[in-house]
Amino acid sequence: MAIRQLPPQTVNRIAAGEVIERPASVVKELVENAIDAGARDVEVVTVNGGLSLIRVTDNGRGMSQDDLALCVERHATSKLADDDLSTISTLGFRGEALPSIGSVAHLSIVTAQQAGSGFEIVVDRGRKEGLKPAASNVGTKVEVRDLFSATPARLKFVKSERSENQAINEIMKRIAMAHPDIAFTVTTGQRTALALPKSGVSGDDLLARLGRIMGKDFLNDAIPVDAATEAATVRGFIGLPTLNRADASQQFLFVNGRPVKDKLLFGSVRAAYGDLLPRGRSPMLALFVDVAPTDVDVNVHPAKVEVRFRDAGRVRGLLISAMRAALGEAGHQASAFGGVKTIDTLASSITPSTANASYAPGTAANGNRPIYPARPMRGGLAEDLQAPFDAVTTPSANADATLDPIPADDMRCPLGAARAQLHETYIVAQTENSVVIVDQHAAHERLVYERMKKALGNGGVTRQGLLIPEIIELDDDDAQALADRSSELAELGLVVEAFGQGAIAVREVPALLGDCDIKGLVQDLADEIRSNGQSFALKDKLEAVCSRMACHGSVRAGRRLTPQEMNALLRDMEATPYSGQCNHGRPTYVELKLTDIERLFGRS
Amino acid sequence: MRLVIERGELLRALGHVTSVVERRTTIPILSNVLLKASGKKLEFKATDLEREVMEEAAADVSASGAITVPAHVLHDIVRKLPDGSQVEIKRDGEKDRVTITSGQSIFALQALPPEDFPDLAAGDLGTTFELKANDLRRLLDKTRFAISTEETRYYLNGIYLHVAGEAKKKMLRAVATDGHRLAQVELDLPKGADGMPGVIVPRKTVHELHRLLEASSGNVSVSVNDSKVRFVAGSVTLVSKLIDGTFPDYARVIPQNNDKELVLEKASFTSAVDRVSTIASERGRAVKLNIAPEKLVLSVNNPEGGSATEEIAVDYDSEALEIGFNARYLLDIAGQMEGEEAHFFLADPGSPTMIRDAGDEAALYVLMPMRV
Ligand SMILES: Nc1ncnc2c1ncn2[C@@H]1O[C@H](COP(=O)(O)OP(=O)(O)OP(=O)(O)O)[C@@H](O)[C@H]1O
Ligand SMILES: [Mg+2]
Repeated sequence: MAIRQLPPQTVNRIAAGEVIERPASVVKELVENAIDAGARDVEVVTVNGGLSLIRVTDNGRGMSQDDLALCVERHATSKLADDDLSTISTLGFRGEALPSIGSVAHLSIVTAQQAGSGFEIVVDRGRKEGLKPAASNVGTKVEVRDLFSATPARLKFVKSERSENQAINEIMKRIAMAHPDIAFTVTTGQRTALALPKSGVSGDDLLARLGRIMGKDFLNDAIPVDAATEAATVRGFIGLPTLNRADASQQFLFVNGRPVKDKLLFGSVRAAYGDLLPRGRSPMLALFVDVAPTDVDVNVHPAKVEVRFRDAGRVRGLLISAMRAALGEAGHQASAFGGVKTIDTLASSITPSTANASYAPGTAANGNRPIYPARPMRGGLAEDLQAPFDAVTTPSANADATLDPIPADDMRCPLGAARAQLHETYIVAQTENSVVIVDQHAAHERLVYERMKKALGNGGVTRQGLLIPEIIELDDDDAQALADRSSELAELGLVVEAFGQGAIAVREVPALLGDCDIKGLVQDLADEIRSNGQSFALKDKLEAVCSRMACHGSVRAGRRLTPQEMNALLRDMEATPYSGQCNHGRPTYVELKLTDIERLFGRS
Repeated sequence: MRLVIERGELLRALGHVTSVVERRTTIPILSNVLLKASGKKLEFKATDLEREVMEEAAADVSASGAITVPAHVLHDIVRKLPDGSQVEIKRDGEKDRVTITSGQSIFALQALPPEDFPDLAAGDLGTTFELKANDLRRLLDKTRFAISTEETRYYLNGIYLHVAGEAKKKMLRAVATDGHRLAQVELDLPKGADGMPGVIVPRKTVHELHRLLEASSGNVSVSVNDSKVRFVAGSVTLVSKLIDGTFPDYARVIPQNNDKELVLEKASFTSAVDRVSTIASERGRAVKLNIAPEKLVLSVNNPEGGSATEEIAVDYDSEALEIGFNARYLLDIAGQMEGEEAHFFLADPGSPTMIRDAGDEAALYVLMPMRV
């Protein structure tokens, strides 16, 4: 076949394939245009997941008649004044969005720079129709109908209305976070998904907007970050380490006002939080990095979600040190208000030996909520290691800490009698001829999994009813997703129902979790559902679901167990097949034979 | 500071205060007990920052003063001294060292300055009233098993103590719940308690108080405002912070119209539950109650481990009903009962069941069923 130049219509559709991946991409492009046009109010309406209609109305500066005619042409932009790609300060710069959209849908733009004297242009699947006068307020209204009707192949990849709406909401949330000074309303189908008034752009105003989007928990536990070098500034809010999630979906990062999903930046977050977080957990945060336009290349990804910094190392360094400083300060703050636990944690790293270490009386308000997960004491003297033994082996009046003389019965069990708990994570047990060390969390996770599996095979998981249903506030989409799967969840022992917008009510919980952290459990399941998309059966993900459930059961890591609880766990393990391995194939316990220990001491 | 005290008195006082001292604390002074000698007595005080316990004992003080020494060490020393011996406690000048002498034994303990000892500064707490130590103990005893240990619902980590009932017959009521079961006990409102705020007393305070009350037979004076509470029983005083949270509107979950009444003999029921649940290999397994006129069949079915059933005679004349409960919860509640009979008020297998103790009208328990 001979080579030929492609007709413009085909060229546009190929470009559209890159720029317009799904309805949410159209929304993103149109809203970015509105922002570039200086709008203060932006309204987005979608019907049928954006396939039937996407309408974006703004009160920006509008376009003149000539510009309107030009804007739907390929590579027509007003934003690269001196053709210099290295000084981009607007969100758009390629002049590619409108022609791409026009090539795969029915596009109508109505715009006016003065009230009353407006114009409309229509592009129908690549065919430009004439320009005509139209009544309009100052600003621009763009309507996109029958998206992808010109490219049936793409249409096939569009997901359910629900997931497209969700994608649109996700995009809009990110954009709205970066622009607190602009009011946004987003209506998907019948539902008002977002309604955000305009406000100031920094400090409490910014936090208020973030809180509306990321939830009340974030609002309560966010600490400000603000740092700058000559090369870059970073500001925003990051959550205390105790506010953590099972995935990174609540980490919002922006570069020059643009939401990005950048590996370098995510890496910096991980590095900054380090061991403050339990393994496998991610913090919640929203950070805005600003660098000179000349120091960053935004033109490396068709949807502009990746960027390239000229000096990546410096940016990374700034981010890490800014977050660390904020977290460090919050640590002190926490020690001023937190309870004994916090003081314990901090003091163990600061002044282990000063006689009159300063302390600050806690207030009851926070006294019951540890700020950091209990952290093992590091290094140190044998006394430190001895202490937990004392707590369980020395009879005291505290019922929780009493250990009766070793019951001979337990000693004869394969996993022995519990003797102590170390670092609130490991159970040390004694059998007649060995020492057994159990990882309580891994063991519990496995028990939950095996029992769930068994219970499912035997007709259902036993559920414990709640006297008072637990109402849990969630992101709208999460609440909806959970409510939609309520029958599947019920099979797994969790009975939930929708409770107005953005909340669900939990009525029954899996009995095998005991007195559990219901809110954490529900949030984690929502994360699991989100990260797996719409079409998977919870049962097929049983392992993942169970490990998330186990995380919030009564035997999770970091919880101090009574001797009775420890022994109960050991007996449960013995009664449960495969309990010797956790869900990831690691052992849940190790056994040290006395003979081996003797050899260690050269006694054999 | 210098004094001589009888070993028995010293041991009694230390026994009261030291249990509040956490064994693992990284702030050294929190491991200590504050000793203050003046007039004819020695005062003791220990704290974990959330609560503090004070006690005093008669002593022969020759030089007044104050000092703090490691609480558990001092307690252990005194425990090992012979019965009836005299103990001399002396601070060596202004040095941070305390010498304890008894008979031929001499101990020198590292001390910390008394000025650094934390103080909850409770001051005047507003509402004050008195009640019998035994009555207060009863309130704690019968409710504390239902306190939640789940830290995320911190407002359930204690006993809710408040004024309830109508104007004519007001009650002092204690309620605890972990969301699965609820325990409520009340007594006639003591004089002067009328204006007290509803407060949540933290679990550890409840256990401490319960222990301190064991020894006392007289009255306890309670002073409370909305952030702190003070209990004075004889010479011992316990001050505690309260949980800053809102206790849920528990009255809603107490069933009003459960008209199916099951009366059973507590002892035979308890041992039957205990026996059949042997088959349940794991915690949280349901015991099924098959209730029919005049007979109750308890059963546990463990698909791997087998099954167990046991029948007991009961008083019941409503329609037959099948309902499941967590075996441990049933045993916990039965364990609080004084009477020989328990009355179950049931509605259906999915709704809360109310349980009453024939031996104590002022106590009431609510239990949420389990389902498969
Ligand atoms: N809502 C609007 N208000 C005012 N002018 C607009 C609006 N939308 C588009 N324009 C004008 O139309 C031009 C083309 O828009 P288009 O989105 O296609 O390209 P762009 O924004 O310049 O670059 P990019 O392809 O990177 O988005 C813009 O440069 C701008 O001048
Ligand atoms: Mg654009």
